[in-house]
Order: sequence, then structure tokens, then C-alpha cells
Amino acid sequence: MGASGKLELRSVHKQYAVGRNMLQVLSGVSLDVGPGHFLSIVGPSGCGKSTLLRLVVGLDVDYGGDILLDGNRIAGPSLARGIVFQDHRLLPWLTLEQNIGLSLENSDWSARAKADAIREQITLVRLSGFEKVYPHQLSGGMAQRAAIARALINKPDILLLDEPLGALDAITRIRLQEELLRIWSVEGTTMILVTHDVDEAIFLSNEIVVMSSNPGSISKRFTVALSSPRDRASSGFIELKRQILAELHLYQQKTEAVEDCVDMAALI
Amino acid sequence: MSDLSVAACLVDTKEPAGKPDAVRDGSFDIGSITRRFGSPVGLILPSLIFALWQTAASYQWVEPVFLPAPRKVLEAFWLMLTKQDLFFDFLASMSIVGQAFVYGSAAGIGLGTAAGLSRKFEQFLGMTVDTIRHIPGIAWLPLIVLWLGIGAPAKILVIAKSVFFPLFLNTLQGIRSVEKNYIELGQVLLLTRRQMVRKVILPSAMPNIMVSLRYSAGLSWALVVVAEGLSGLEGLGFLIFRAQGLLLTDQLLVCMIIIGIIGFSIDRQMYALQCRILRWQQGFKG
Ligand SMILES: Nc1ncnc2c1ncn2[C@@H]1O[C@H](COP(=O)(O)OP(=O)(O)OP(=O)(O)O)[C@@H](O)[C@H]1O
Ligand SMILES: [Mg+2]
Repeated sequence: MGASGKLELRSVHKQYAVGRNMLQVLSGVSLDVGPGHFLSIVGPSGCGKSTLLRLVVGLDVDYGGDILLDGNRIAGPSLARGIVFQDHRLLPWLTLEQNIGLSLENSDWSARAKADAIREQITLVRLSGFEKVYPHQLSGGMAQRAAIARALINKPDILLLDEPLGALDAITRIRLQEELLRIWSVEGTTMILVTHDVDEAIFLSNEIVVMSSNPGSISKRFTVALSSPRDRASSGFIELKRQILAELHLYQQKTEAVEDCVDMAALI
Repeated sequence: MSDLSVAACLVDTKEPAGKPDAVRDGSFDIGSITRRFGSPVGLILPSLIFALWQTAASYQWVEPVFLPAPRKVLEAFWLMLTKQDLFFDFLASMSIVGQAFVYGSAAGIGLGTAAGLSRKFEQFLGMTVDTIRHIPGIAWLPLIVLWLGIGAPAKILVIAKSVFFPLFLNTLQGIRSVEKNYIELGQVLLLTRRQMVRKVILPSAMPNIMVSLRYSAGLSWALVVVAEGLSGLEGLGFLIFRAQGLLLTDQLLVCMIIIGIIGFSIDRQMYALQCRILRWQQGFKG
């Protein structure tokens, strides 16, 4: 179960070939995530957050630097690391329960235990009654919740969440945030959450990393020292939010400035 | 070919997300039944054609030898059914088509899957397949009749060949166009190669496979008539050409109408099967 697995990123670089050019997407990303931590990553669109999660989950081993789990370089995917992709990625030809059950395809549980676990997860994300429904019959938020259930059912040590609550209404969102917190405290799962919502990041995490783009790198790291449960209206909360937003705006202005220069260069 | 009808059949399964029960029992509303079996509008044109035929025969616009009256054709049908072996000939044709379709599509899906999964295997088959494909099935028939005789096996082989290629090519194509995202999901869940093929790759190729199954079912029914006409002493195709030789136009028309109706119902069955298997797909309301 949880509470094992120390994740270390040592100056991770990643580039993609785009046509003939190499596009530097991540540059010198170093990061430690202790067992049982809850880390959030915020940053502008295109700064490489999803790319970073792909590397950590083991889908892409073609990168520079090291990603170490308990000192060993990650060599491929493992059931100990779960991911909720940015798109829900439910298979359209499987019903909701079959999609969630896909995670248990290789477990040695009995059929009964699998069915129970699936039902439990479906209840957890409040999709009861939709077991036999195909993904195209779900709303965006329902599909996202199903994807979360699919990732949770394996009880991974490390769970990577790529904007999992993006398509949800405010109320469902807050409920699922609390649900994530509950799972985190009960299972001791290490959580790495990508989000655009600074409130969400502060509410959930011990630590917040702000990334900047071109190339993607870590611009600042915040420790959240607020006691839990966190009060979104407390002064500490608001002060931290102000600092993080300032950090985000800072580089946004910086990138805008760079783009202005590029525009100028194009004119000349 | 049948892109449009595929889209139409997908509409059947579109149920609002809030009604899981309706989805569970797979029931269809009246509207979808009409769509599947043809709405009354579809009957107008056949009725007009029939009326024209009846009029032409009554007023003898065409000599009865060339266009017998509908009643004569009906009598011929009764005669062929009771005094001759019409039903037996029908079964002979059906059995050839059935076997050829099963063998051809099994081989097409099997080898298509193998070629889709392995580029080496595709390259290994490539030249041979592309050459054989361009020699029409009917051009193979004379040679194969020399080898296997004029009985059913030669026809089964030739028609199976014609069924094989659409399925082979479409399965291959379908497997190659599976979304990379879904493969990645399978990798993250550590699916074995077998599970990946069964749960991800084949279902994703299924729309392609179903389209070519439906297409080649119709094709094989059309081909059996040609094959029986060219060789052999039984089957609907044989009857047609014999009727032509003997100037039995009424019998000729009986066979043509049966072929048309059976072809129509084969296509409808395949369509229903396609809708069932692809009920997970999202269509547009058209
Ligand atoms: N397979 C790929 N080939 C080439 N470039 C890619 C590929 N995947 C991502 N990129 C590029 O890498 C950069 C970072 O992409 P990534 O998806 O990691 O961004 P992100 O931070 O997750 O953005 P968002 O918040 O919009 O999801 C982008 O500029 C994108 O164009
Ligand atoms: Mg992303």
C-alpha cells in the first residue's frame, strides 16, 4: 500500500522533434516528492505539465536527466503509478463498469471481488445507475469522474492527476476535492495534481510548484503550511493565493514581453 | 460505400444519458424499426413499377414472351416450387454463399489482424495479396473449375476469395488507425498484448470490419448467381441462364425477383447486426 516510493526528478529534459526542429519542452526540472505527499503543479497552457506526467508514469522513457523512484530510473508503466489523463480516455466500446474494470484486467482477484471493487468505485464517484452506459452517453464531468474511478481502483502508490476536475461544476468539484483528500489521508497515496485552479491547489496540497514555459521549467516552489481542514477564506489561504498568482502573472508578463519582441523582430 | 447508412444505424442507440435502463435492455423505439425495415415511403416506387408492369402486360405493349404478366410469373413460381426443385436450387445457392462468406471473412479478419499487428507480416503478404486481388474472382473460376470440378467447392473458393479482400484490407486499415491515446491507456494499465488486441485494437477496428462484412455479404450473393450461371447444374444462377436459353421469361423473372428479395434481406440482416455490434458508437441525428 501507499507510503512507499520516493520520487526524485533530477534535471529532467525533454524535447520533441517537430518537423526538422527540436522543440525543447522541459528544461532542467528537478523535484523531490516524498512518500505520501500531495504536490500540485500550476502553470500556463503548453508549459509541459502533461509531458512531465507522461514521463513520470513511464509512457515515454526518451528524456534527459533522471526520474528515480526509490533510487531506480523509471523504465516503464507500473500499476503502482496511476494516471488520470487530461482527456478522460474512456474506451468508447466499453460500458462505464467495463471501463473501470479494465484496470483490474491483470489483477488476481476473484470475479466477485472485482465486481465489488467496481461497484464501490462507482458509488464513490457517484455514478451509480450508469454502470451499463457507454461513454458517449455520459456528460463531460461524469466521464472525468469515471476516469478517476478507473485510476483509483488499483490503489496506486502514486497517483498522477492531469486536471481531473476541469470539466466539473463548482459543487461537484468541491465534493471531489474533499473525496481526493479523504483518499489521500486514508490510503496514503502520493498525489501529483496538475491544475489551473490555484484555490484547488492550495486547498489540497502540501506543496505547490509553479511552472513557466518556453522551455517548461519550475519557476517557484511553495510549501503550504496551513492547518487542515483548510478554510478558503482564511487570511493565510488568501495570502498564499496572492503570492502564487503573482508568480503566475510574473512569467505571463515575461512571455508576453518575449512574444512582443518576436513580433517586433518579424516586423523589422 | 455505406457510410451514410452506418451513420443512420448509429442513431438507433442514441439514448439520453439520464436513461440507463433504456440502454440496458437494448430496446428500440418505433422510429428505429421503421428506419431499419423501410418506412412506407420506400414502398411507393415498387408499387409504381408493379403497376407499370401490369399495365404494359395487359395492353400488350411488349410481347408476352419478353414480358409475361405478373400473374403468369406468380404461376411460374408456384410451378417451380411444387413441380420443380426451386427450393432445392435456392438452398444450393444459399449454402454456397453461406460457406464462402464464413470462410472468406474468417480468413480476411484473421490475416488482416495479423498483418495489422505486424508490419513484417504485412510486407510478407503485400505483393501477393495486391496481385491476386486484381484478378477478379470470376476470372479465377475457369481454372478452379478445372481443378475442383463444377460442383460447389469451386464456387465457394471463388466467392470466398472475393469476400476475403474487402475484409482483409479493411481490418488492416482499421487496426492501423487505432488511436494512440487508447494504446497508451492500455500500456498504463499494463495490458498484455493479447488483452490489448481483444480490448483495445479489435473493437476500435470493428466499425471498419462491420462495413466490409456488410458489403461483402451483398457481393457474395451477387457473385453466386454469376458463378452458377457460368458453371454447374443447380442454383438460382443456373436457373436464370437455363430460363433464358429456353425462353422461359416467366421463370427468369421469378429467379430475378427472388435474388433481389434475398439480397435485400441479407443486407438488412447485416445492417441490424452492424447496429447491434456498434451500438457503442455515437451517431448524429440525421
Ligand atoms: N507528441 C508531441 N510532439 C511534439 N510536441 C509535443 C508533443 N506533445 C506535446 N508537445 C508540445 O509540448 C508542449 C507542452 O505540452 P503539454 O501537453 O505538456 O502542455 P501542458 O502544460 O499540459 O498544457 P495544458 O495546460 O494546455 O494541458 C507543447 O508546446 C506541445 O506542443
Ligand atoms: Mg496538459
